Amino acid sequence: MIRLIIPAIAVVLFYLEPVFGLFSPLDIGGEYRYLIPRFLIMYLIFISIYYSRNRAMVYALLFGLLYDVFFIDIIGLYSFLYPLICLIASFIVKFIHQHLIVTTIMSLVLVAGLEFVLYQFFTLIGLRDITLQVFVRERLIPTMIANSIFLMVLGWAFKYVINARLLQRLNQPN
Amino acid sequence: MPQFFSNKRLILLLVGVIFLVALISFSLRDRDNASLPEQIIKDVVGFGQSVFSKPTHYITGVFDNVDSLLNTYEENKRLKGRLEEFAKLQGNVNDLASENTRLREIVDKLDDLREYEPIQATVIARNPDQWEEKVILDRGEVHGVKKNMAVMTAQGLIGKVKLTTPLTSTVELLSTQDPNYRVSAMVSGEKEIFGLIEGYDDERKELILKRIDSNLKIEKGQKVMSSGLGGIFPKGLPIGEITEVTTDDFGLTKLAYVKPAAEFALLDHVMIAKRSMVTVDGTDGGNSADKNSEDEDAS
Repeated sequence: MIRLIIPAIAVVLFYLEPVFGLFSPLDIGGEYRYLIPRFLIMYLIFISIYYSRNRAMVYALLFGLLYDVFFIDIIGLYSFLYPLICLIASFIVKFIHQHLIVTTIMSLVLVAGLEFVLYQFFTLIGLRDITLQVFVRERLIPTMIANSIFLMVLGWAFKYVINARLLQRLNQPN
Repeated sequence: MPQFFSNKRLILLLVGVIFLVALISFSLRDRDNASLPEQIIKDVVGFGQSVFSKPTHYITGVFDNVDSLLNTYEENKRLKGRLEEFAKLQGNVNDLASENTRLREIVDKLDDLREYEPIQATVIARNPDQWEEKVILDRGEVHGVKKNMAVMTAQGLIGKVKLTTPLTSTVELLSTQDPNYRVSAMVSGEKEIFGLIEGYDDERKELILKRIDSNLKIEKGQKVMSSGLGGIFPKGLPIGEITEVTTDDFGLTKLAYVKPAAEFALLDHVMIAKRSMVTVDGTDGGNSADKNSEDEDAS
């Protein structure tokens, strides 16, 4: 059972993202605030830190591809960025302490980086024309607040599940 | 950084980037339809997505109900005031409708641009990264949805169908920044004035109605509807209300800002309008700006 729980959580998070997307943009004080859920990539970063880098990258590629095909119809964007972020995470983690708080902060920084790269990309292809200031005010800050709340609430649960799976794998090598 | 950029990884990264650029340029092209693997993925993911989003709609529905229950007294008072007015209006409308059908029979013209067959659909997902304004519906080709059909809520037009698969369809909302997105519209008044909805002002949160003849007079507060002359949309779907009138960049035609009638946030149940009259590929379709201006020159 526990073998399947890691991909199962990833699938649930993948489906939950657009459900949260339905409530956005929020109209606060006459201005729209975009809360962009990035649950899946944060979970994948945790997998690549605590479990296995290669496994995380396979999941990242797979879900990135699904994300591209289903939501944005630009194939190759997320299916490239997701594995890249997992790779960077597994690289950075060699130099830092693997404490939960440190990895939480690192995940959030990486998500902010992802948002910024996407902002650059969509500005480049001309789908959106917003200034950096507006981007930070309307998208980046609300997104980071929402995602950090999510990670603070569920980060330890991710770590717990991944550790349980690791323990099980150590006990019965196959 | 010797570890991170070993030769093998560098090559992999480069190949990845090339592959990425190729794929992106392939998918950014104006494609008419999704390819078969895409359709399969979309349908399968869409099925799972609707399993997740239907309970969400149910829960938000309960909250909405509680919310409206709290406002019942206020609302009731206001509605009672308008009831009398409404009865009179209803009488007028019935009268006009029957007269209209009679007159149509006399002139032997039974087709009507206004007539459409609504397809009820549920929004199962909104593009979570929200760079593009897209929502995904749980109705597709099997249910009769075709590309470029109008999508509306009870308040008014919200967008048009961009891509269809057998069981889902992707809708691009009116608030998109896509320069090729246009809807043929008219300002209703004593005389119908035609223009095109082109673009969305992100700061004002308003649509821009362009190419209005500068000799014609339009005013703040007039209602804007779809004209049905774009070839695919039915006539008379409410779009919004004019808030400001100015001239365009070249000073040749008028330009108006239109406050959309429908709310683009928190969409749940929508209608796809399938026009009863024959459809042709016009401005509501995916025609390029150049082609349109040529058409205008010719006419």
